[in-house]
Amino acid sequence: MTKRLWIVLPAFALALALLAVPLSGCDGGGRATNELVVTGSTTILPIAEIAGEMFCDNNPGYKVLVSGLGSSAGIETVTRGSSDIGTASRDLKDEEMDLGLYDSPLAYDAIAVIVHPSNPIDNLTKEQVRLIFNGTYTNWSELGGRDLRIGLVNRDEASGTREAFYKIAMEETPFDRTAAVLPGTGQVRSVVAQAEGAVGYISLGFVNDEVKSVSVDGVDASAATVVDGTYPISRLLHFFTVGEPAGLAKEYIDFVLSDEIQQGIVIDAGFTPISAGEAL
Amino acid sequence: MDGDPRTDVDGTNKGNLQLMSRSTYIKETTLKNLFLLCAFVAVMGVALIFLFVGWRGWPLIADIGVGSFLGGAEWNPTDGLFGILPLIWGSVVVMAGALVLGTPLAVGTAVFLSEIASPKMRSLVRPAVELLAGIPSVIFGFFGLIVLRPLIAQMTGGLGFGAVTAWIILAIMIVPTIATLTEDALNSISPGVREASYAMGATTWQTIYKVLIPSAKIGILDAIILGMGRAIGETMAVLMVVGNAPVFPEGVTVPLSTLTSQIVMDMPYAAGDHRTALFGMAIVLFMVSMGLVAAVRLISRFQTSISGGR
Repeated sequence: MTKRLWIVLPAFALALALLAVPLSGCDGGGRATNELVVTGSTTILPIAEIAGEMFCDNNPGYKVLVSGLGSSAGIETVTRGSSDIGTASRDLKDEEMDLGLYDSPLAYDAIAVIVHPSNPIDNLTKEQVRLIFNGTYTNWSELGGRDLRIGLVNRDEASGTREAFYKIAMEETPFDRTAAVLPGTGQVRSVVAQAEGAVGYISLGFVNDEVKSVSVDGVDASAATVVDGTYPISRLLHFFTVGEPAGLAKEYIDFVLSDEIQQGIVIDAGFTPISAGEAL
Repeated sequence: MDGDPRTDVDGTNKGNLQLMSRSTYIKETTLKNLFLLCAFVAVMGVALIFLFVGWRGWPLIADIGVGSFLGGAEWNPTDGLFGILPLIWGSVVVMAGALVLGTPLAVGTAVFLSEIASPKMRSLVRPAVELLAGIPSVIFGFFGLIVLRPLIAQMTGGLGFGAVTAWIILAIMIVPTIATLTEDALNSISPGVREASYAMGATTWQTIYKVLIPSAKIGILDAIILGMGRAIGETMAVLMVVGNAPVFPEGVTVPLSTLTSQIVMDMPYAAGDHRTALFGMAIVLFMVSMGLVAAVRLISRFQTSISGGR
């Protein structure tokens, strides 16, 4: 009987260990003056968060608190002073222009429309893209292609890419609800790569040889066309601060704009580095 | 164990005959209570989950009405439309097809294992079936997504997402559940029945078809109902192959969605009424599994009353 205790007890101990959630944050010792609060766009959240952790590792004693509430909330909190940096995946609206916000763009977010490599369609207008994704076109022959059913691949609603595509390409009109909804960029890409009639959209940085990216309004999706602003389905990601960034906020923004982050996380997240513009 | 510990734990023989030391007595009592606690945790778990899901999910159902929640034809949370009928339909379609494909496969496996296979063959096949039950569902889903879906996409010219893909994957997944329970049912038929059939000159096939399957039919029915529960509750594998379009599908090779997969898809971003609606869907799933368990219990009781009446 005693032996059974040795089976039961470790099980309880394991359960306790699992309950003990590790405390997050990079440096628990940071004081309020050493804190930087970054709030806003969920699209920028992964970059801001990982950059924040790396920033803390490089500068012990500082604390970067990152949260994603949406671009409008980011602009509002930084204006009210409850955050130090507001992040936004859209430009300022007219009524936000005179809030005294300073814009430090950190990356381009461009979305490529992708099809199967065997699809003869090379170019679509932005309006055609919208009509494909709202279900008006159902066969590639209606667009001058082969007689093949269009297989729509959409992203889930939690996706920042879907949000951006919805705003820029769909102009906030509804998607076709019979489209397949997939929970990841990788899945969209592999499904489009394997089905001849498929069409989907992914961040430009994730396009590879498995799929064909069509040009939109005659403009190829590439770093160059994104930077010069001719590729239509793209947007800038911004850090907003009240006045020019100073102190900790400046150090953090400079760090995000450094090659380490731009060539690392920014590219890994599928975005186009802001420095791509300087290289041209 | 030495002696009969129960006598002492109950205290009936105390002072009269010392069957175990005091430390053994304490150990026994502690363990008894520990196991009682374990059983209690299971019961409490079910009760708490039910209460929690009901508490979180009920407000929306009460608000929009049971009819328009269960019977609403459009699931579009962003526009405030919370009709889950397309999802219920999706769950039913996926489950029914999986049962149609999976049941013959599973019953066939069980008959083979219990009646036909040589002991050597059995020792090969049975572990394989048991292993099938142990494979995590995400691996089935992954297989469906990477291997099966492109095949179906090639054959149909579509994306490969849809009911057919889910049927095939789920049919394989429910085989162990149904096969194991069916084999138990076949093995519990008294050997005399089998011997009598062969003694009458029946062939193996006649014995299986005319004698064994009919005698085990209630056990097989139980097995199918439990397989049904597995199919309707399966989430991860289904999520990966159905395509997750919350609409009434126009065919079996176009995307559809189920209750379970939609809950997972929406969870990361759902807030407010939408989140409440997801809990409402959980209530529906809870009711379905309660219904299935109740059905199994009723059938078992029915069987007992028949054999008891003999």
